[in-house]
Amino acid sequence: MSANVGLSVLVGCAFLLLAKGSNWAAAEELGHQRAKVIEPSIAPAALIAPQLEDPAAPQDPPGTGLSLFLRNGCGACHTIRGTEARGTIGPDLSHIGSRTAIGAGILPNSEEAIARFIARPDLQKPGVKMPAFDMLPQTEIQTIARYLKALQ
Amino acid sequence: MPGSRVRRSPKPSSASDEKDAINRVKDQPIMIRLKHVVFGAVGLPVIVLLGAWIGFFNVGASSGHWKVTALFLQLAMRSAVRTYALAVDAPKTLDRRGLPAAAGHFARGCAICHGEPGEPRSPAVMRMLPQPPNLALTVGDWTDAQLFRIVKHGIRFTGMPAWPARDRDDEVWAMVAFLRELPKLDANEFRALAFDAGQATGGEREPAAPAALADCRRCHGSDGQGRGDLVPALAGQKQAYLFASLHAFASGDRTSGFMALPVTGVDPADLAALARHFAAQRPLSADRDQVPAEMVNKGQQIAEIGIPERNVPACSGCHIGSDKNPIYPHLDGQHAAYLERQLKLFRSENRGGTQFWRIMATAAQRLTDDDIRAVSAYFSKRSEGPQ
Repeated sequence: MSANVGLSVLVGCAFLLLAKGSNWAAAEELGHQRAKVIEPSIAPAALIAPQLEDPAAPQDPPGTGLSLFLRNGCGACHTIRGTEARGTIGPDLSHIGSRTAIGAGILPNSEEAIARFIARPDLQKPGVKMPAFDMLPQTEIQTIARYLKALQ
Repeated sequence: MPGSRVRRSPKPSSASDEKDAINRVKDQPIMIRLKHVVFGAVGLPVIVLLGAWIGFFNVGASSGHWKVTALFLQLAMRSAVRTYALAVDAPKTLDRRGLPAAAGHFARGCAICHGEPGEPRSPAVMRMLPQPPNLALTVGDWTDAQLFRIVKHGIRFTGMPAWPARDRDDEVWAMVAFLRELPKLDANEFRALAFDAGQATGGEREPAAPAALADCRRCHGSDGQGRGDLVPALAGQKQAYLFASLHAFASGDRTSGFMALPVTGVDPADLAALARHFAAQRPLSADRDQVPAEMVNKGQQIAEIGIPERNVPACSGCHIGSDKNPIYPHLDGQHAAYLERQLKLFRSENRGGTQFWRIMATAAQRLTDDDIRAVSAYFSKRSEGPQ
C-alpha cells in the first residue's frame, strides 16, 4: 500500500513538473507570437487611422502620429526639431525617415521595423535603454511609425 | 598512519575470516531491530492514514483540542513566531504616517475576528478554534518584529491569513504601528481614525454614489485629499487613470493589501462611478511641510529636464500638460511621502500598476534616494492643477 502511495506521489510530482514545463513553453510561445504580431503590413492601420483623427482640432489633432508621439511621452527622451519633443536621452529622430537603418544598424529602416522597435525595443536591440511600448494599441504604434518614417 | 597500516595488514591475508565476520553480523539481533524500524517507518504512517481515511480524527471545533494538543500547538506557534521573527529587521521607531490607512484596513479586514474598541465580537467568532485573540488585550505579548511576522505570513491552522499583497512590507509595518496604538484607543478615537469624520455629509451630497465609496473615504477622505501623507490625494485626478488603477488593484496587477480588500468584488460599473466621483472633486492646494528650496529646485530640474547624463527622462514628458495620455496621472499637489514610496516601489519593481507601469519602473531605476525625495517634494508643491 505504502509503495502505491509513494508511486503516486512520484507520478504526481512528475506531472507537476511536466505541467510547469509546458506552461513555460506556452508562455514563451506567446511571447514570440506577441513579438510577431507587430509584423503584419500597415494596410489595415492605414484604413483605421483616419477615423482616429479629429478634424475639429486646429493643429496636432489627436490620433496623428505627432500628437500620439507627444501624448505617450516619447518627447521626454527624443527630439524632433520643430516640435515640443526635446528629449536628449534617446537619438534625435528629426530625420529618422532618411536613415538607411535603425536600432544601431540592426534593422532596415521601414515602417514595420520602426513599429516593431517601438513595441519591443529589447527584442530588437539587446541592452537598449528604451522601455517597451507594446501596451499601446497596435494602430497607435503603426500611426507613430508611419509618422516617423515620413520624417525625411 | 602507522596504526591504519597495522589494522589493514591482516585483511587480505584470509578471505574466509572475512566471510565469517559477515555471517556473524547477518545473524546479529541488529537485523531484528532494523525490521522494527522499517515497520515503524512504513507501518505507522499507514495506520495513521487509515485512521484519517475511516474518519477517526474529529475535526469539529465544538469540543476543542485535547489539553495536551492545545499546549503543544501553542508552544509550537509561539516558538515558531519567536524564531522566525529573528530574521525580521525591525525599524527603531515605527512610522506613524500610515495609521489612518492601517486603521481603515483593520476596521474592514481584521475587526470581524479580532474585535474593535467598543464593539462586541460576534458569537460565531467566539466559537472558532482557536478563538481569535482580542488584540487590544494581547498585542503586548509580542515584539514589533513578531507582530510583523504574524501579520505578513499569517498563522497556519488558525484562520489567520497572510498579508494579501506580496512585497508590501511597508503596509505590514503600518499595521504593526496601528496595533501598537490599538490598546490605547477608545471607541470614539478608533472611529475617528478608521472612518472619515466628514463621511456623513459627503454621502448626502451625492446620493448616487456606490456603496463602496464609504470604504474609499476611510483613507482617501470625503474631500478626496488622502488622510495621512502616505495615502494619495484623488481629488481632481484623471478619471482614466483612476479607473485603470482600480482595475489594476482588483486584478492584482498593482499590489496593495490595503486596496485589495475594498476593491475586490466591486462591480466594474461602480468602479467607473468611483473614478468619476474622485476625478470630479476639486483639488485643494493643501499646506505641505517646509522643504528646503534647494531640494525643490533640484526636483524641478528632474521634472522639467530630467537627468540626461543618467538617462532619466523629464517627468514632464508624461505627467505635465493636459494633452498627455489620460492613463498617466497628474502629480501636482500629490503628497510627497506617497510619491516617494511609489517611486521606490517602482524602482524595486514591486509596484505594478496600469499596463504602463514598466515605463515608470525603467525611469525610477535610474533615480537615487535623493533624486526621489527632491522630485517628490517638487511635485507636492506644484499647484498648476489640471488644465
